[in-house]
Amino acid sequence: MIEEGLRKGLRIIPIVDKEIRQLIRDPKTILMVLLMPIAVTILFGYGYGGKGAGKYPITVVDLDGREGAFKFIQELKNSKMFEIKAVYKSKGQGFSSVYSGTVYASLIIPETFTEDLMRGRPTRVELYYDASNPSVAQMIMQAVGVVTQQYQEWAASKFGTFTIKPMFYTIYGPKIEKIESFIPILMAMILQMVPTSLISVSICREREKGTFEQFIMTPVRVSDIIFGKLAAYFLATISDAILSLLTAILLFDVKLRGSFFDMAMVSTVFLLNSLSLGLLISVFSKNQLQAYQASIFSFIIFILFSGVFVPVDVLSPEAKLIASLVPMYYFVTAFRSVSLKGWGLLMVSEQLLTINIFTLVFLLLSLRFLRMEVI
Amino acid sequence: MLEIIEPSVEEVLAVEARGLTKKFGRFVAVDHLNLNIRKGENFGLLGPNGAGKTTTIRMITGVIKPTEGYVKVFGIDVAKERKKVLRLIGYMPQKFSLYEDLTVEENLKLYGRLQGLIGSALKERVRYLLEKFYLWEFRRRLAGKLSGGMKQRLALATALVHNPELLILDEPTAGVDPPLRRKFWEYFRELNSEGKTILVTTHYMDEAENCDRLALMNRGRIIAEGTPQEIKRKALGGDLVEIKFEGNLDPLKLPGVKLVVEGTADRYLLVVEDAGSYLPQVVRRAEELGAKVLVASPVYVSLEEAFIRFMGEEE
Repeated sequence: MIEEGLRKGLRIIPIVDKEIRQLIRDPKTILMVLLMPIAVTILFGYGYGGKGAGKYPITVVDLDGREGAFKFIQELKNSKMFEIKAVYKSKGQGFSSVYSGTVYASLIIPETFTEDLMRGRPTRVELYYDASNPSVAQMIMQAVGVVTQQYQEWAASKFGTFTIKPMFYTIYGPKIEKIESFIPILMAMILQMVPTSLISVSICREREKGTFEQFIMTPVRVSDIIFGKLAAYFLATISDAILSLLTAILLFDVKLRGSFFDMAMVSTVFLLNSLSLGLLISVFSKNQLQAYQASIFSFIIFILFSGVFVPVDVLSPEAKLIASLVPMYYFVTAFRSVSLKGWGLLMVSEQLLTINIFTLVFLLLSLRFLRMEVI
Repeated sequence: MLEIIEPSVEEVLAVEARGLTKKFGRFVAVDHLNLNIRKGENFGLLGPNGAGKTTTIRMITGVIKPTEGYVKVFGIDVAKERKKVLRLIGYMPQKFSLYEDLTVEENLKLYGRLQGLIGSALKERVRYLLEKFYLWEFRRRLAGKLSGGMKQRLALATALVHNPELLILDEPTAGVDPPLRRKFWEYFRELNSEGKTILVTTHYMDEAENCDRLALMNRGRIIAEGTPQEIKRKALGGDLVEIKFEGNLDPLKLPGVKLVVEGTADRYLLVVEDAGSYLPQVVRRAEELGAKVLVASPVYVSLEEAFIRFMGEEE
């Protein structure tokens, strides 16, 4: 006979062992865990085009300071596509507003702008945009193009024929390819969809098949079940994250700026969150169908409010509130910073902490509401 | 109708239920049930489908909570100290409840480990049970690929993995062929002789004859309880005897006769209070009355008949 305490501690190990054996033997799991990330990565790599809507926050650097520039800024405001956060007098301020992530782009009006205009000389405006958010960058470039075009027509009728050329410059590295900037979105989808839906059926399947009745005739505790399943599914789905990263790197020659360790850590934090959410769904679902529906529903909400399609900054206050309750939003922000901007873990600690708080809440609710009863 | 057996001061009952009730919405599945199962006995719970047998058993194992009343297992309240109770109970649910995607051996090992067995103790127990229930050669087969009989054997082995004092079996022989059914019951006897208590539900009346005591359930209540013999007596109001004779005989003049079931010129089927003590008196009296008794013997009554009578009274 062994000590009581030791037996209690050891009870989680057979559960982890059992769950992993079951996962490995289920062809559906293999398909989801191994093929889904690869398939989704490939689909994204080849076919994704981004769209955005709403007002984009930008800053303007007015080096000219005369009527021509004022009129251009007025034109930007009239277009209703931009929210001008600030008008600076130096390029440095403009750059740092983009570097710090406050705005998506900074528009620079050169010193000779009004003079060029009055003399009918060709001139230009310069847009420095954050390329790590390609869908937004694309929208801003288009909008600036439209505004410049309109402004040019007005100016041409007044001062004679000439051209205003918008020049575009990327910040955060000149060689950010499209697929690279989609990696955070891709990782968010894969780390949410597969783990949540997989684990969401784990407890209710036991109820449905009747195995739960025998299982709870042993001295297992609620915490043994919750943490046993969490550990097993974590081990099974961590490969998801690695596989998607590898697929992207090998197939599309993606070059990420972040360290692999930092990206793995951010992914791990979010993976645990997805699994905890799945467990919570499983605790409350009566059967597998219900669980699948709940995980798909949560996935749709998450995707919509994660800033993947529409930047959260341009959403209405109500929608912003919802986004603030979506862990995926924090993950996308954190992973984007780490993978594309090369930030360290410390710089995204706020997001990581927020995700962990969600995880903790999901787990506590699961522990509280898992009934050790049948029916 | 119900007699409650009061336990003596020292005797702790294996199962003691008082006022046990389970309601599902407005439907009362189990209705103020009292149950006394003594240590070491084989107690059968019988009744038609929907009588509340499985619900009763699930309340005893604690996998569902009673709406009212309580159950104690070896004196321990199931609702309050379920953890302690779990070590004492081995449970085989009605539906096969083991993991179909684990092998025979993996299932047994899992449950052994969850019950706290490790190392060589676990290994030996698993091997013993695999051999005992003729599962050794199938130990690497997935439980989902087993035949019905093998599944039942595995389920029984799993229920016994921690050598429990009380074995609770919900329809253990459903879908099991007759030779294996017999083996199961032989094994139950063996466990009883080791002092283990068994609570079993069954549809098969011939099996129920093997129980030490029975309770017949209908619509959530116990309508009869006792040894198989007692139950039959209660159903008929006594024992059934057959008399074949020559000459004239008025059955109502015979001692202890409660009912004439059938009567012809040379044969009566009678219910007497107690066949053992009244049959010699019946023969003596019949001879005194001038008839020549050719045959006088108790008639075997099946439990099925007894139960049909009880159910009829219920209607």
